[in-house]
Amino acid sequence: MYVYYQSGDLPVFVFRMSMEDYDYLFKIVLIGNAGVGKTCLVRRFTQGLFPPGQGATIGVDFMIKTVEIKGEKVKLQIWDTAGQERFRSITQSYYRSANALILTYDITCEDSFRCLPEWLREIEQYANNQVVTILVGNKIDLAEKREVLRQRAEDFAEAQSMLYLETSAKESDNVEKLFLDLACELIREAKQNKLDNNDTAPMPGEGKTINYLSCCSLN
Amino acid sequence: MADSCGAVAATRGDCGSVSSVSSVSSVSMDTICALTELEDLEKVYQQLCEQEKDVETELDRLLGQEGSIHTKMLALQRMGPNLQLIGGDASQLSGMITFTCSLAENVSRKVRQLDLAKTRLYNVIQRADDILDLKFCTDGVQTALHNEDYEQAAAHIHRYLSLDQSVIELSRQGEESSAVDASLVLLQEAEQKLKVIVAEKLDEAVAAVDLAQVERFFKIFPLLGLHQQGLARFGQYLSTQNECDKQAQRIVDKFIQQRGYHNKFQVVQSSMMKSVPAERIEPRELDPVLAEVTLMNARAELYLRFLRRRMMADFEVGDAQSVTQDHQQNMEKLLKHCLLSTRMQELIGYYVPMEEYYMRESVNKAVAMDTYEKGQLTSSMVDDCFYIVKKCISRALSSSSIDCLCAMINHANSVLESDFREVLYNKLRQGFPATTLQDIQRGVSSAVSLMQSSLQQGKFNTLGIESTENAKAAFLVTLNNVEVCSDNISTLKRNLENDCSKLFSQGGNTGDQAKIQSCLSDLVNTSTKFKDLLQEGLTELNTTAVKPQVKPWISSFLVVSHNIEEEEFNDYEANDPWVQQLVVNLEQLMAEFKVALSPVIYDTLTSLMTSLVAIEMEKTVLKCSFSRLGGLQFDKELRSLVAYLTSVTTWTIRDKFARLTQMATVLNLERVSEILDYWGPNSGPLTWRLTPAEVRQVLALRVDFRSEDIKRLRL
Repeated sequence: MYVYYQSGDLPVFVFRMSMEDYDYLFKIVLIGNAGVGKTCLVRRFTQGLFPPGQGATIGVDFMIKTVEIKGEKVKLQIWDTAGQERFRSITQSYYRSANALILTYDITCEDSFRCLPEWLREIEQYANNQVVTILVGNKIDLAEKREVLRQRAEDFAEAQSMLYLETSAKESDNVEKLFLDLACELIREAKQNKLDNNDTAPMPGEGKTINYLSCCSLN
Repeated sequence: MADSCGAVAATRGDCGSVSSVSSVSSVSMDTICALTELEDLEKVYQQLCEQEKDVETELDRLLGQEGSIHTKMLALQRMGPNLQLIGGDASQLSGMITFTCSLAENVSRKVRQLDLAKTRLYNVIQRADDILDLKFCTDGVQTALHNEDYEQAAAHIHRYLSLDQSVIELSRQGEESSAVDASLVLLQEAEQKLKVIVAEKLDEAVAAVDLAQVERFFKIFPLLGLHQQGLARFGQYLSTQNECDKQAQRIVDKFIQQRGYHNKFQVVQSSMMKSVPAERIEPRELDPVLAEVTLMNARAELYLRFLRRRMMADFEVGDAQSVTQDHQQNMEKLLKHCLLSTRMQELIGYYVPMEEYYMRESVNKAVAMDTYEKGQLTSSMVDDCFYIVKKCISRALSSSSIDCLCAMINHANSVLESDFREVLYNKLRQGFPATTLQDIQRGVSSAVSLMQSSLQQGKFNTLGIESTENAKAAFLVTLNNVEVCSDNISTLKRNLENDCSKLFSQGGNTGDQAKIQSCLSDLVNTSTKFKDLLQEGLTELNTTAVKPQVKPWISSFLVVSHNIEEEEFNDYEANDPWVQQLVVNLEQLMAEFKVALSPVIYDTLTSLMTSLVAIEMEKTVLKCSFSRLGGLQFDKELRSLVAYLTSVTTWTIRDKFARLTQMATVLNLERVSEILDYWGPNSGPLTWRLTPAEVRQVLALRVDFRSEDIKRLRL
């Protein structure tokens, strides 16, 4: 199992241009309908907070959290996007460089589930083809108001070959697990990629390497 | 007197000796008679004698003081009259003080009376003034109202309101009560009238969004003692965010309508979705509309920033302590979710894909129109492409919307990293044509055969040669392009950082800064990818253009025997058999690249070539056999080669040739065992790059070294 620690709850604003002290840097982008709890998930994970009465996100927000997984420091750049339609073109511009997408819906809102195919089309169109996508059903604390059965969501996720997890940002259920599982998966893929790249020289144009090791990404 | 003195001294008992005297004297009174023994009597007598002596001494001392006491008595007697004089003076002084005191009290009583009188007089004057004012106000208000000079009227009312109400009451009880009453009634009427008028006028002005009038009437309210009401009405006016929203709505709608914004957007969207769009839009046509949107957004941001600043200032003025986060959050919510913001967000939402389209299409165009002028290192599309990217990002920056800027940086990154890099990659993948060089090598004969074959086909194909020349140039130009791209991206990132820091110096939060930083740091990765591509291209060039040439030149070393005697050695000295030709060949080979490649790339290529030469030489040498003089010959040849290569590159090449140099050393030995002078503890500053096995292998190349000796070596 993994151990982790919080390097700081607040976003890191200073980017040192020299050697940064992490082994991996991953970009994670949260997407999904407005009001499904994307911001709350991010806040819960990065700051341990559940701010009630959260206003709609404007554009995109940006948080950083460094975790340690099996002795390796993993810096997670988490982009929290606005769900509202008018910000779509801005949020789409972040898909391409994302290593992982967290597609979120609200289990108490059938509508947010029905929109998932539309979101998948967006992912198909804008994200790179190596992106790891995880489907998240949020707000399981409101069990009595559930509109989307777990089985149904699981079936859908499986059909789309996505991972699936149900969370509660309010009760902090599965929030750590969500991000840490994702980080583990990304590390696994990064290592796999590195092996592949060592086997055959990377072809230019498809060199969408997932890991930016400090020594080679920064000069 | 002496006795009494002694008795005093005895009764005081203040010292041992005196008490003993008194005890003796008391003894003498009662017991002397009772004494019968002579011995006792004598003892007592003696005591008495001693006592007498003491008394006499005391008496003498007291008598000695008599003189001084007398002198003091005389002095006292002389002071007597003076004391009487002092007494008189003192009583006189006391009398005077008492008199002055009463006088002062009298004076101050009068002053108090005067003061009272003066105060009353003032009051009277004040009241008279007030009454006059009242009358003046009454008249003035009438006139001012008549003239619609509301400020003046309000000033009069203000004056009236500031009059002491009790004074007015008093005045009414006076003789002129009727006149005053009349004035008051008039004034009160005027006051009511003015209040109504001002309120109406303010409402009118608010409705008409006439700021000058609003301010004018707003200022009248406090004069009429209606501070709260005035503030409320002005506040109503100021909360014109509703109004602003309405106006913004209208402007945005008008804008969308007039510019066919949605229409353009749809065309753009469809042309981006489909590979063969039905309807295309010229990127240039989008220029004005894109500029307008960014300008509109910048204005809106400026306005919102203004509101934010004003509100913050007001919070602080209102109550510096309670400027809570709640206040700020409410304000941010208000500003970010007001209709103006949402409409602008919508506009930007459409702007981003259109700007992206503009950028992509323009870059495609730049690629399609790519031209290369002879003598230039790069072709036109690199400059064009970066001009476009810079223009688009600058335009996004000018919108003052951080999210918009970040989105465009992301898109620019995508265009550069995927689209543009792909173009360059495809050009490099076409490879560097090797044929022409080989043709030239084959010389005239091949040209003749080429001509013959062309003639046989009925046409003279110069196009073939020309197109290979072009392909060569294209490849080299592309290499330069890739390098410039990598540099340009770094420069772009640096410049954007500067621009953004300027933007943030005017305010902006750290979260926004971090967002931009993160998007910009992606540009660094892209720059690195271009560097990688350059490296790949160079490797390709080295493989296709350098290696096939260099390899045979090096292997021709095999033809030149190094198993030689004195005579051949001298002959080689006079007519160089190999190395000079190699140097000439290399020089010719590289000359072409030196002109066509940027200095940095050329240097890297030379370095690759040098490595190649070193590796090939090593392979070749191991296939040869050497005599003692052959070893010396090789050493000379190697030195010439290294000297030449050092002169053409800025890199140090000693390291690359370290193994070869060591091989030459081994081949130059007098006898096998001499290696021990250089090996192990004797190696000194020399670090051997050859393994012991390799040293044996090289030693074995010497025809004159016996294999048993080599085997016997302990390395």
